[in-house]
Formats: sequence, C-alpha cells, structure tokens
Amino acid sequence: MAIHERSLVEPERIVRKEKLVIDGVDVSGDWNLIILPRVINDYDLDFAKEIINSPDGKTITQCYQCSYCTASCPVHNYWDERFNPRYFIYLAMLGLIDELQKRADVMWRCVSCHKCTHRCPKGVLVEEVLKVILRTMVKKGLIDEYPSKKFDKFFTESVLEYGRIEDGELLFGWIEKRGYNVVKDPILRKPIPFLGETPEWLKQLVMKPIKSMNISFLALKTKHMLFHPKTKSWNRFKQVLRKVMQEEGAIT
Amino acid sequence: MAKSVLVIGGGPAGLGAARILGRLGVPTILVEKEDRLGGSPVLNSYYTLIPRKLKPEQVLGPYIKEVESNPNVQVKLKTELVACKGEPGSYKVTLSNGETHEVGAIVVATGFEHFDPRRKGELGYGLYPDVITNLELEQMFSKEGRLYRPSNGQLPKRVAFVFCVGSRDRQLGVTNVHCCRYGCALSGLQAMEIKQRYPDVDVFCYYIDVRTYGTWEYPFYWAPQEQYGVRYIRGRIAEITYSPADGRLRVKHEDTIVQRPAEVPMDLVVLVLGMEPSAGTKKVAKILGLAQDPNSKFLIPSEESGSNIVSNKPGIFIAGACKGPIDIESSLSEGEAAGAEAAVFVGAKVTV
Repeated sequence: MAIHERSLVEPERIVRKEKLVIDGVDVSGDWNLIILPRVINDYDLDFAKEIINSPDGKTITQCYQCSYCTASCPVHNYWDERFNPRYFIYLAMLGLIDELQKRADVMWRCVSCHKCTHRCPKGVLVEEVLKVILRTMVKKGLIDEYPSKKFDKFFTESVLEYGRIEDGELLFGWIEKRGYNVVKDPILRKPIPFLGETPEWLKQLVMKPIKSMNISFLALKTKHMLFHPKTKSWNRFKQVLRKVMQEEGAIT
Repeated sequence: MAKSVLVIGGGPAGLGAARILGRLGVPTILVEKEDRLGGSPVLNSYYTLIPRKLKPEQVLGPYIKEVESNPNVQVKLKTELVACKGEPGSYKVTLSNGETHEVGAIVVATGFEHFDPRRKGELGYGLYPDVITNLELEQMFSKEGRLYRPSNGQLPKRVAFVFCVGSRDRQLGVTNVHCCRYGCALSGLQAMEIKQRYPDVDVFCYYIDVRTYGTWEYPFYWAPQEQYGVRYIRGRIAEITYSPADGRLRVKHEDTIVQRPAEVPMDLVVLVLGMEPSAGTKKVAKILGLAQDPNSKFLIPSEESGSNIVSNKPGIFIAGACKGPIDIESSLSEGEAAGAEAAVFVGAKVTV
C-alpha cells in the first residue's frame, strides 16, 4: 500500500510485514503496512532521577527552558541545529529516551566552551549536566560511547607502554588500528612514513609541522622514533601504575 | 453627622472597607448574603493563602473580629441588596430583610465565583472521580489533612496540574478571555505542599505560560522546580480519558517543546479553576447600573479615573474580585482604599 506524503513520516515509524495477523484476522497482502503513532505514552522518570541524584547533574531541575544556553552555543549555531542543550535537558527531565536517541549522532559534539554555563540565568551547569545525561545514557546502553574514547584508550596504552608520549608510535599505530596498510622496515619493524596508505588529512597534518621544524629537531624526532628513549625503571613503575589505574576503573 | 456607607459583601474586600470605615467613625452597614463573614477563603475552607503562606483565619480573623465588635458597623448576615433609588450622596437602598436605609456612598465588594469545570466536558470532571479541582485539593488538605485518589482512597503516584481551566478561553460560551492570576502561583504552592508531605509523589504542571508575576516568581515557580523537582511541561491538556486496564487517567495534549502528541498516565488530575464574577456581582451591577465588561461581566472602573476602585457612578466604589481576578492581600487593600474614598465622599470628619 502506498503512503501519501511519505516525507512527513519518519522511516523508523513505517513497519511493513510479509504476513500480518491482527486480533486473529489475517490482513496480509494489501494491508500489511503499519505506521507507528508519534504519541508519547509515558515518561521514564528513573532516568531523570539518576541525573538529579548525581552531584554534577542536580542543577538540571533549575532549567526553565529559556534557551539562553542554546542561543549562546557555537555548536548549535555554526555546526548543527540539532545539537540543542536546552532541549536535551527537557527530554532528560521527562526521560523521553527515544527523542534523545534520535540525536545520538550529535549529542557528543559539545566543545566545552562553557558559554552556556556562564550565561545561564538559572545557574544550571549546562555543560556538566549534558555530560551527566550522556554518561547515564552510556551506562544504560542507550547510546554508543564517544568515538574519541577509542583514541583515548589507545593513547593511554601507548603512554603506559613507553612511559612517555611516542608521537610516531601513536600516529602510525593509530592509523594501522583504523585499518590502513602501514609499510614497516624489515629490521626494526618501524613504520616508514608515506610509503603505505596514509589518509590525505593525515599527510597534511604531518607535513605542516615538519615543514616548520628545524633540521636538528627533525633528526631528534626520527632518532626517537627508531630507538625509543627509555624512562628510568619504567617496567616496574608501569606495573604499579597499571594496577592502580585498574583499581580506580580508569582502564580495563 | 455624616451619612452612612453601605458595604455590599463580607469577603476580604468588604471586610477591608468596613474595618477602615469603622475605624474612621463612619456609620457603616455591611450586608453579606451568607451566614458568616470571610468570603470565599473562609466559606470554601482554603488551606494556605498565597503569597504569604498564611491560613485564612490568620489573615481574615482579625478583620472579622474588629468588624463584628466595632459599634460603628452594623453587620447584616443573610441579607442582600434588592433595590436602590436616589442620587449620589443620598442613595435609598432596600435590603432583602425589608429594611430601607439612606446611605451617602456604597462600596461594592461582591466578589467572584470559581469556574464550573463541568462546562469543559472534555476534561472529564464529574465523570472520573480522580479528576478534581484545585479547590477540592485545598479542602482535602484543610478538612482531611491527607492526599488521596477519590476513586480508591489511596495515595497517588503521579499528580498533574492542568492550568487555565476556564481562563483564557472563549470556547463553548465561556467568555473568560482573562487570566485568573492566582492559578500558577497556587499550583506551585500546592505542588510544594504535596512534595513536602509525600516526597515520592511525582508532580507535573501542564502550562501554556507560567504567570507567577512580580515577587511571586521565586517562591511559586522557581522553588517548586529547584527544591522539590516539580516538572513543568508545556502543553495545554485537551482531553482527559480513563483506562480501565490500569485504572489510571490519561492526559492528552501536545508537548509543544517536543512537538509530539502525548497521552501520559496520571493518578490524580487537578484542574486549576478560573475566576468568574459571582451571581451577586452581576445582580448588584444591574441594580446599581454599574459598567460591566461585555465578555466576562466583571465590573469595570470609571474611564475618567486612573484609580481602579472608582466606578462609573459617583459615590459607588468597587473593590476586590468583583472587577476581575485578584489575590487576597490586594483585595484587602483595595477594600481599605475604597472605604477611605467612601468616607471622604460622605464628608466624614475624621478625628483620630
């Protein structure tokens, strides 16, 4: 069956079934299509309770929806209007999870400029509240973890391994992890820049600082890339640090 | 000796007028159609008054006591104005008990009555026992001291306040295009009273605007949200239905912030009633020839005067809720102002 004005119906509300029986009546064939209603049937107040009861989320109750925060928000104004802190607060207070999930792709895009928090006439800590909403959603499995968290984990592992930030290891290790083919020299098994696949954005990102570096610094960097400088007694310290971080829940 | 003043109505405005007239030594006749003084707050057993969170007897008790004991004031209960002849300065009034008096001035303080929510059939009042009015909620607290669902006597898990019932509405012959002024603030107060006693009850306020004007903003809008977690949801409830499956009500509305229709379960729904001129106000307006608003039938002040207690008839002053929604403390002060104006009009020589 055709739907008139399909553009007005969100795709996720259209259900089409090969075989459909309603109240014992077989309506397969022409009548196999259902458009789910838009009606809000209930609030999830347990979701809101978790935010209100957390120390950094309790100011959410102070919001009166004036939208001072959203009007000030650079992400909303210059990137995507679907990022709307004022609206996220309203949805979270009522626990309208499906509406929050519709914006899951933009919800992580806060740049933490804190304009919202500094300007809020009601003293809502908007940026913090937003992070609590996201944290609660992750905890309840309602949203995927922020993509950059994956890099954060890789970064932490790299620092734990070498006791310092190894730029080369980090960069090429990461692009290898992302699925690019990296060419390595046969002896030291170190990646050779620009021989394998390198994303265009990365070429530009790397070339810009290299062009402005002086020769001795560049030589030092290359030396460090091939022969990692050791942090003193790192192996023992690493074990202790890893144990503490595991106990704190910072790494798994 | 100065001529006497007739005060019509024994509510807050009438009491304010009679008390100041008595204090100024002006002979005063106070007529009240009910069998006791105090007006709506006393007769309808209000629980707590906005904005100062005092009880009706705390606010009106001293007024009633002084009016009843002042020898200058004659209180006539169960009495109404029937007819009025004469001219400004010497009105000849006939009362329902057969007495006639000549008075120099009249203070009209005939008040309001609560909107009858049966006129908004879609809200299910009178049909579903768990749909109650904010007046009934006041009486639940003042008379029974507890909150319950009338259908089963149990504590509700969720309470919804439906703002603007019979206010800002020109549908179905309802000509209440005015705002009731007190509803938002009283709902905030009632919501806090519920949360203070039963912290686990979730309270929702369905609003079009929240009009807790002036200094009422913090105590009756911010405090319920910030201190008690009362939720304010933007959307006017258009229909209340009942689900036999779970025995709960459904409030049908569009959430205008989410822009989606909603039918949310509630255990107790409180209708926030608007104000209309009382039957007495309409009757007195006819007898005295006072100007009325064509829609609401509330009395309207003289067009020439900047003061809102001066009526279109010289020597007749209007005070309190007979000329539009008003809170109790303003009613008292308007009554006092009207009383003082009336004393001046009859040429009272004041020596205090």
